Amino acid sequence: MAPTSTVHQGNPSSVQHGVLFTVLTLAILFLTLVPVGTAVFWLGFVRGDSPCVMCWEQRMGMILISLTGLFVLRFGPRPKYIGMAILIAGWGIFMGMRHAGMHGARDIGQGFSLEILGAHTYTWALITYWACVLVMGALLLLVRDEHLQPGPRTLRGLERFAGAAFLVVVGANIVQAFASTGPPPFMGQSDPIRFSFNPRYWHWSLEEWKPVTLGLRGRWAVDKPDLATVVSDSTGGPLGTLPVLAVTERRPLGLALDGSPTDIAYDAATDQFLLTTATGVYLTDGVLGRIQRHAIIDAGYSVDIGRVAGVAFLDSGAVIAVGENKSYVVLRPNGHANADSNFRYFLASRDQFDEVTRGRFGTARARLLYIMSAAYDPASNSVVTVTFPNNKVKRLIVSRFSRRDLLLSEEYVPTIAPSSGLVLAPKRTLDDLAITGAAVADGQLLALSAAGGTLLTIDLTTRQVVAAHTIPGLTRPVGIAIKGGALYIVDDAGGLTVVARPPRM
Amino acid sequence: MEFLNLVLIFVTAFLVLRAPGRERLAFRLLVISTILMVFLFTMATRTGLLPGVNY
Repeated sequence: MAPTSTVHQGNPSSVQHGVLFTVLTLAILFLTLVPVGTAVFWLGFVRGDSPCVMCWEQRMGMILISLTGLFVLRFGPRPKYIGMAILIAGWGIFMGMRHAGMHGARDIGQGFSLEILGAHTYTWALITYWACVLVMGALLLLVRDEHLQPGPRTLRGLERFAGAAFLVVVGANIVQAFASTGPPPFMGQSDPIRFSFNPRYWHWSLEEWKPVTLGLRGRWAVDKPDLATVVSDSTGGPLGTLPVLAVTERRPLGLALDGSPTDIAYDAATDQFLLTTATGVYLTDGVLGRIQRHAIIDAGYSVDIGRVAGVAFLDSGAVIAVGENKSYVVLRPNGHANADSNFRYFLASRDQFDEVTRGRFGTARARLLYIMSAAYDPASNSVVTVTFPNNKVKRLIVSRFSRRDLLLSEEYVPTIAPSSGLVLAPKRTLDDLAITGAAVADGQLLALSAAGGTLLTIDLTTRQVVAAHTIPGLTRPVGIAIKGGALYIVDDAGGLTVVARPPRM
Repeated sequence: MEFLNLVLIFVTAFLVLRAPGRERLAFRLLVISTILMVFLFTMATRTGLLPGVNY
């Protein structure tokens, strides 16, 4: 055994010398006994909790930080120990974020495994690592040159106790790890069964070794909607051959917009159309001949609206513009709007509208899907959106949000009404459609798909597709509006197509 | 694998506490345990290495 040096005593510097190691010892004891000791003895042995594979590694990181603390107690605060401790704590914070991120957005109280003082264990891991960094920073302030000695120190009573406690806690963890994860190559599991000392109930798994696809964001790696990826061929839709709606007019919009159109809506009460671009909102006359007022939204103020993808007239003259990410802004036309007050809301034309509110629509089934359409249903006083497929999820989901509180009221996957006579082509589903325009009239939602140029008629009461039609010659349509017996369709190249509205089914 | 890593940690702590002359070996074991922890966590999360939330 190598010789050890003793702590110098009897002068001010040795007192400070002792303070550093005393505080460090207490920190090691706290980290060893409170989070790790509680986890293994109370949660594990008493309550039967088994850590998942991620929890195991988070626990391991805390043990390793305590271990670097033992190195410092024995050999002094050498830079390599400090470096290791910071690296481990930094990785621990990342592990905590990664783990808490899986559950942080769930409904109140939901999470994985046990809750302690109102927070689940993985959340405490994140807080613990963060606290470790703070404590390490504070301890470094106490380090003096005399702490850096070449040889090992002689451990004092409290320090020896900390070392013994560490060995006991790690020993207990070895027992728990053997029972719940097994010897190599077995490793921790995503959903471990509860801990038992009885080998009959031990379950060792190799599931984490199975080949899987590497990814950075997993199912959250969703691409933004891109119409360039959509095939507009009207013969390629999932519903086969459909009745064709007659085109009565096809022309350029001819309006001075600040970019490509993204949606259109019509209000019979005021005989006005509403057009949007990525950030622009335009009110026009009833023949799309003249812009009456417009505004350019500051889409990055407070709520990130992103790219406006859907628009609708609401009650009392208000309009709503909904972004691809389902964030929205409600505007009200005002010819006397205060341009200075509106500086925060609009990038240009600040005296044409007032902003009523902006926020975010939250969904359940459509969480990982963007939208490219929005409509207003006066019968239910609701805003309706329809999802757009992406590289991860292809699912046609209709979401309805109450106008009263702008929260989710209903969400469903429409089915085909048996009485409609519609039949899906082999190996095709409604999810193959890419809805880019929506409008509501007479209790029916007209949903226009850029893929296949298909127009679905969805009964909002039965939630069923009751009819479908094909509109020929559409290229990247982005919005649809109902005006009397006609449908007005805009495309992203600035073209307007007018077709006869199908009869109500 | 967690069992193996905890055994390594136990041995490392024992060396630090009871055989400080083996500091080099103990520190190497500390580094190996840390790498093993990083590897196992990465294995467990390799389908989505980053937190699954909005960015």
